[in-house]
Amino acid sequence: MAIQWGFVFAALGAALAAGLAGSGSALGVGIAGQAAAGVVSGDPDRFGSCLLLQLLPGTQGIYGLLIAFVIASKAGLLGASGVAVQATQGLQLLMASLPIAIGGLVSGIAQGKVAASGICLVAKKPEEQGKAMLMTVMVETYAVLSLLISFLLVNGVQV
Amino acid sequence: MIVQMKRLSLVAHKSDEQALLKELQPLGAVEVIPETEETRDQSGLDAAQSNVDRLSEALNILKPYGKKGGLLTAAPEASLQEIRDKMPEALRLSSELEMLQKDLQYCRAQADKNAGIIETLLPWKDFPSDMADTKGSKYVRYFTGLLDAEDVPKLEELKDIIEVQIVSEAKTDAILIACAESDAKTVQNYLKSLSWTEFSFPKLSGTPQEAIDRLREENDALGNEAQQLIGKIEEKSTFRDNLGGAYDAAVIERDRAEAATEIGLTECTFHLEGWVPEDRVADVKAAVESVTDAYYMDVRDPEEGEVPPSVVRNSDFVEPFEAVTNLYSRPDPRGIDATPYMTPFYILLFGMMLSDTGYGLLLLIGGLLFLKLKKPTGMMASLAKVITWGGLSTIIWGFLTGTFFGLDFDVIFGTNNVFPILVDPMSDPIMMLILCFGLGVLHILFGVGLKIKMSLEQGDWQTAVFDNLSWVLIIVGLIMFAGSSSVQGLPPVISKIGLVLAIVGAVMILLFKGRAKKNVFGRTVAGLGELYQVTSYLSDILSYARLFALGIATGVIASVFNQLCAMLMSSPNIILKILGTLVACALLVGLHLFNLAINTLGAFVHCARLQYVEFYGKFYEAGGRTFQPLGYNAKHVRLTDK
Repeated sequence: MAIQWGFVFAALGAALAAGLAGSGSALGVGIAGQAAAGVVSGDPDRFGSCLLLQLLPGTQGIYGLLIAFVIASKAGLLGASGVAVQATQGLQLLMASLPIAIGGLVSGIAQGKVAASGICLVAKKPEEQGKAMLMTVMVETYAVLSLLISFLLVNGVQV
Repeated sequence: MIVQMKRLSLVAHKSDEQALLKELQPLGAVEVIPETEETRDQSGLDAAQSNVDRLSEALNILKPYGKKGGLLTAAPEASLQEIRDKMPEALRLSSELEMLQKDLQYCRAQADKNAGIIETLLPWKDFPSDMADTKGSKYVRYFTGLLDAEDVPKLEELKDIIEVQIVSEAKTDAILIACAESDAKTVQNYLKSLSWTEFSFPKLSGTPQEAIDRLREENDALGNEAQQLIGKIEEKSTFRDNLGGAYDAAVIERDRAEAATEIGLTECTFHLEGWVPEDRVADVKAAVESVTDAYYMDVRDPEEGEVPPSVVRNSDFVEPFEAVTNLYSRPDPRGIDATPYMTPFYILLFGMMLSDTGYGLLLLIGGLLFLKLKKPTGMMASLAKVITWGGLSTIIWGFLTGTFFGLDFDVIFGTNNVFPILVDPMSDPIMMLILCFGLGVLHILFGVGLKIKMSLEQGDWQTAVFDNLSWVLIIVGLIMFAGSSSVQGLPPVISKIGLVLAIVGAVMILLFKGRAKKNVFGRTVAGLGELYQVTSYLSDILSYARLFALGIATGVIASVFNQLCAMLMSSPNIILKILGTLVACALLVGLHLFNLAINTLGAFVHCARLQYVEFYGKFYEAGGRTFQPLGYNAKHVRLTDK
């Protein structure tokens, strides 16, 4: 049976989107989590605010999952689908996954670092939690923009 | 609305000081400015502080024990008199708890110490004689220690002068070596060259085995005692509410004592300096008059160089949103309170980011239940109200974009393409993006408009026209110019008007931005620099794309979860189908709650960011100081007397 390159490319795109963006989030949440555990060991009452900050770098993974799912359903990878995806369309879907894959990976790590610093800030000045969150969300803007372009590109592919 | 602050000077007889402070405290309207010149007797404050510390320590001790108030249990109600009456009893209880805790800590420390000794003695448990016998005598020296098993044969070298007894064998052997006192130095030096670790027996009597048994018995007893102590502490946990109330009473007393130390004194009068919000001056006056008529009170506007705290007063609807502003920064007391202007946008944008009627319903109901049952105060209450309003807005946006827990409304109602009422972000993303940018432009222009209003009020029409109105012209003009070509049926003149507006705005900036400079060349350069700001406006507007992105993030993830669960339920095998359905139902609840939680957090912070950076950046003057009046700061009870 001949390899259906369209499906292969689309699947690769979905895998990259979910895998790389998810890795970014995993690393980011991990970095922030280490800082949070340190702070909570000193002052267990800080758990709530630390957890909120730790969660913030987790969204890249969700954006990646989202794009992966949209690609997969568009290419009919989730179940029987009558249409065969052409190689060109598959490549298009692969390219469309790149913004969130790369953007999610890098911004997830960067956001994790800011979140960790924010957690240290909360440890010293609990009343400044709003500012810590704001700084962390600044990084996420670029993940959101990546998500947006990925989504528009996927949406533009005619299958 | 920013409330004007007044500087209060109050002079009255010294003997009335305590009574006056007691009257002023419930008002929560006076922030005492510490008198720096003289230091007053601190003993009253120290005593009050020690009560606070003791009670807080007692509460800490009780923390791990007994049942705690649930997420939806409201704090008990009490009057100040009631919690004050609980003080002596609570202080006695806290001493008791402290003693129990100390005993418990002693028990645990002792048990740990014993366990450590047992650990070190275990290799020696087959040592047959009394431990005290290894001290040695006039002619014999004993060495006891641990030696790596591989080094043990090396002891053979000294076999002429030493007697070796191996007590236990493992990776390291426990060994007793005996030699003549005269050979002790040689033996010691030789042992040092091996992996020898000297071991000296603890000062206990009997054989190691006996000592171990004794210590174990002792530890059992200590364990029992610790259990009993924990039981006793646990019994006391029923008094947690009393302790909490007493703690609040102690804090109230401490705050008053602290205020007392900050007040200036003369021979027979005291002199209180403080800040009072303008609308509370009458209350303060009435409170003072209820105590004495021998007083002097002066209320004046703040002078140059005095920085009053920043106080705002808003309607019940806007008030919770002050918390959102406070997370950023309190308004400068001389600026404006931005919260009333921000509130409608916050609600609107929050809902747009979640835009799912089901999630909105959950937030609304959850928020209302939380407020009703928990009766939170302060920051908690504000946030709950903000979320509740956001939930309402989310419900409406859900109708407009047609999603309910990630499902299409048409699927639920069986209607044919009635929903979405406004736009479907999935099938028409460009339309949705335009909607987001449109809202963003409105939001930003509103911010610039507020700046114009502020400048005009300060009489600075040049800033209003040249620095701000010019930007309104440029933005509106450019949008008309670029936008009208993409919409059909519009007369081309609109595009021309837009171009003219934009050019007028740009020329205004070019000519007048550097109006402080005399040099024409310098002016133009300053104007060009300012025109570069167009990129910052552009990025501000593009930033509103997050409304769309977060909206689809919620909706698509919700539908992903739905599809996953639908797959589970669609097995052809009847038994698997039933099992799958059960699992899917449980999964659906958990997954949707997770999605709701993470997206609500996202919507909250991203919405706040849009307010802080894109909106407040245009006009807001931050940097106010929090008003910290002498008042009742209760944490564990809800005070009934206000």
